[in-house]
Amino acid sequence: MDEHFDFKKKYRNILITLMTVGILVTLAAIFITKPGASRIWANVLLNNQYFMGLSLGAAFFLAVHRVSQSGWHTVLQRIPDAMTTFLPVAFVLMLLIYFGIHNLYAWTDSSLSDKVIEGKRAWLNIPFFFVRMVIYFAGWIFLTYMMRKNSGALMTSADLKYHNRKILFAGLYLVFYGITVSASSWDWIMSLDAHWYSTLFGWYVLIGMFVTALAFITVIIWFFKRQGYLKYIRPDHVHDMAILIFAFSIFWTYQWFAQYELIWYGHLPEETSYYITRIHHFKVIFFINVGINFIVPFFGLITFNSKRQIGWVALIAAVVLIGHWIDYWLMIMPAAAGEKAGIGFLEIFMTLIYACLFIFIVFKSLSRGPLVIKNDPYIEESMNYES
Amino acid sequence: MNNRSYISISFDDEVPLLEAVKKLRDNKEKIADVLSPFPVHGLDEALSIKRSRIPIVGFIFGALGAILAFGFQAWVFTVSYPLIIGGKPFFSVPTFVPITFEVTVLFAGLSMVAALLIRSHLKPEIKFTPVDERITDDRFVILVDTPDEEINLKRITSILTGINTVEIR
Repeated sequence: MDEHFDFKKKYRNILITLMTVGILVTLAAIFITKPGASRIWANVLLNNQYFMGLSLGAAFFLAVHRVSQSGWHTVLQRIPDAMTTFLPVAFVLMLLIYFGIHNLYAWTDSSLSDKVIEGKRAWLNIPFFFVRMVIYFAGWIFLTYMMRKNSGALMTSADLKYHNRKILFAGLYLVFYGITVSASSWDWIMSLDAHWYSTLFGWYVLIGMFVTALAFITVIIWFFKRQGYLKYIRPDHVHDMAILIFAFSIFWTYQWFAQYELIWYGHLPEETSYYITRIHHFKVIFFINVGINFIVPFFGLITFNSKRQIGWVALIAAVVLIGHWIDYWLMIMPAAAGEKAGIGFLEIFMTLIYACLFIFIVFKSLSRGPLVIKNDPYIEESMNYES
Repeated sequence: MNNRSYISISFDDEVPLLEAVKKLRDNKEKIADVLSPFPVHGLDEALSIKRSRIPIVGFIFGALGAILAFGFQAWVFTVSYPLIIGGKPFFSVPTFVPITFEVTVLFAGLSMVAALLIRSHLKPEIKFTPVDERITDDRFVILVDTPDEEINLKRITSILTGINTVEIR
């Protein structure tokens, strides 16, 4: 019960080495291949969005379970809790966009005489863009901090008020997140092409975030179990994670198709431009995206036994993690970098830097306390959970 | 049905029920059935009941439904009655997807219900006299198959000493 994760020097060294390699190769790729400023900034935005999405999705996972007062996730709640500690870093990284805003967003050019963009000026202007960014992050960081603090307080105290507060902040987070995740996806992704709009874009991004967070939690569980931790996470808990990945991958596909179908049917020029760019120039990646994010989890996790083996579920989860990176790539890159977009050294190694940083922060946070919060009222139920 | 005789053991909680099932099985008693007002976690395992094969039925019929729905629409819109709708080509896959999806779900759902009814011999004319009407409310009952009630009643009572039973008869 009093298991502590030891963030060994070995892990730190591996992560720091990989991060250094990532930084060097990224710099080399920038100076040798000269990808152009907009592609570099689009990469920064892509990774910001992806790893911020992991944190937000993890917080969403916790909030949903806490509000519904479900017990089963209690033994693994420290993992998503730790994932939310990345948010302040994500805020700083997102502020970097200030320096590249003119390379990314065409609407920032105030000399542009474009009727559509003129009409959207009330929302799309640089000061308000950053005000909104601060509001989103202030809310996310505050609410996740309060959730983490109150669940962490149960490590030492057995006072029920912390448990109740944790649920209260989870509810507030759900409301705030539900609105801001839509608004932030309009701001940071949809406004890359300010002419185009899709009314269910926010949901689509939300589900993508949730699926990646689920997949990442599963991969962390796999890694920890391999290292000999988390013995009490049994196939029943893995089964539930797999069910969630399975179900929400299907739901993601549902969203993907709903967006595609309506635009295909309506056939309005300002809407179809989104798919025309992506299908004409990036056909292979476009169809790989659906294949990886739907067919792999659907057939990979369809049977009972496949959902209960952590090794297999983590493998599928890893594929889904890559798949959703490609999904974000398709949302951001063709709009921001145009036909110059591609997946090369720059993309892969910049993601490596972010991944190492993210894992470093998550592990650091996990090593700060016992892996199980033993005073949580649901811990007994969770330990004896049967799916 | 026939003149097999049973010993029924009643409980008012699921925890002693599970204990009793384990103990009876350890002592090689034949458990004919366990009746409970709600699904008890761990009971299937304690009784070594095999996993249901209903999902396989669902998958097969779901796949069948998908093929039928897709094939039918493709046939209607290309061969039987081609119409130009919204300037789209006759064979346009995106329009078929929602209906294919719905028919898949319908076939899978209905086939699983049908498979359940057929496999467990549930027909309208079946009459069911419950051992104890409270099994639909708050009572849990284990039925033990027994050839000779007199001897076995004593044996089962001795097996179950220490477990919180309500009634053994």
